[in-house]
Amino acid sequence: RYVRQLQRLQFLFSPTAADARGARQFVEEAAQDFARQHPDVVLYVSPRSGTAPLVRAEYLNGTVREELIASKTSEEIVQLITKLANQSGLDIIRIRKPFHTDNPSVQGQWHPLTNKPSILTVQGPRLQPQ
Amino acid sequence: GSGPPPEKKRWLRAYLEMQRLQAPPQRRSEQPNWDYHAEIQAFSHRLQENFSLDLLKTAFVNSCYIESEEARRRELGVDKDAVALSLQDNTGLAEQGLRFARAYLTRCFEGAYPNLPARGVEALVNFLTGQELVSFVAQNLSIQDLALCRDFPAPPQVLQRTFLAVIGALLESSGSERTGIFVRDFLIPQLIGKDLFEIWEVVNPMGLLVEELTKRNMSAPEPRITRQLGVSTVLPVYFVGLYCDKKILAEGPGETLLAAEEEAARVALRKLYGYTENRRPWDYSKPKQGLAAQKAISSN
Repeated sequence: RYVRQLQRLQFLFSPTAADARGARQFVEEAAQDFARQHPDVVLYVSPRSGTAPLVRAEYLNGTVREELIASKTSEEIVQLITKLANQSGLDIIRIRKPFHTDNPSVQGQWHPLTNKPSILTVQGPRLQPQ
Repeated sequence: GSGPPPEKKRWLRAYLEMQRLQAPPQRRSEQPNWDYHAEIQAFSHRLQENFSLDLLKTAFVNSCYIESEEARRRELGVDKDAVALSLQDNTGLAEQGLRFARAYLTRCFEGAYPNLPARGVEALVNFLTGQELVSFVAQNLSIQDLALCRDFPAPPQVLQRTFLAVIGALLESSGSERTGIFVRDFLIPQLIGKDLFEIWEVVNPMGLLVEELTKRNMSAPEPRITRQLGVSTVLPVYFVGLYCDKKILAEGPGETLLAAEEEAARVALRKLYGYTENRRPWDYSKPKQGLAAQKAISSN
């Protein structure tokens, strides 16, 4: 079954700084809706003065991802956290190949002896049809 | 006159950063921003299950936690009455959960692989309810954050007990059908990609094969070399085929003739038990409502 990999989101911003305006608007208006739509994510809001506003996402495999939300509008923040909520906690690195399979071979993997006859097969002179 | 306010010392920031990096890892519950009740609610929603929160909270309480809490309160000199915590253990729930999980998994495997002997089914169930696997599943479901335990990080035994207690709590809250689906969804996918004989250690596959064939009234297998390559080199490859009444049963490769014969016996056993690599994958579809009613009627 589907288990959302995002555990919790922490919103850390200052109550007075100018670049945290979008964050404050988001918390006032859209945070409750987001929490209602995603009941498996815990939202924490805590004040922090003197530093840039950011949102910290913690995933089930222990990854912690921080994103700056300075000078972002409320809608942009909603888009950002929806993106974070649909991600898994795996590192964001180049994926080597876009395909993977658990059953690489259905009829058995080829090896140099696949289509060679076994040494027990007897090959004699052809019998005359009667 | 007064200019800009004087800065704190320049080295302070680097020093605080060093302190932060060198601090020992702490439990999540001791770091800022933690609400236990909210986390437990989120946990039950994440698993898409409806838990009764009291049972779930009891399921996360381990006995080592209760002991350490009582010892701490006694050391701090609190009254004897206040020392006794009104917290219940999760051992009862864990036992219930383990019993149910084992019974359900045994039923599943007996239904899916009817030719597998009891020892094989037991080996599979032991693997799926063993410490390593269950603690791995529990870690990835963040049970290590919610479990109340004396040591940090929580040892795998504690994680296993807590996960089984969660299963027990689900059993009491939602009934056996939903708990069965839960166990199926979280434990059985751990078998993907695993071979039967990685999980079930068989010392003498040839003897086991002879037993199985006598049970089915087939004659004893006759090993013959089917193919061989590089006999006089350092890395020979022999393919030994097992024949029953001159009909092929299975074929297996190996470096020496003995190893090839053993491998052929293992391949034959896999075919007989129906645990080959190209078997039908496990059925994770929703069970139909009628089946439960049918089972109830047939058991009455």
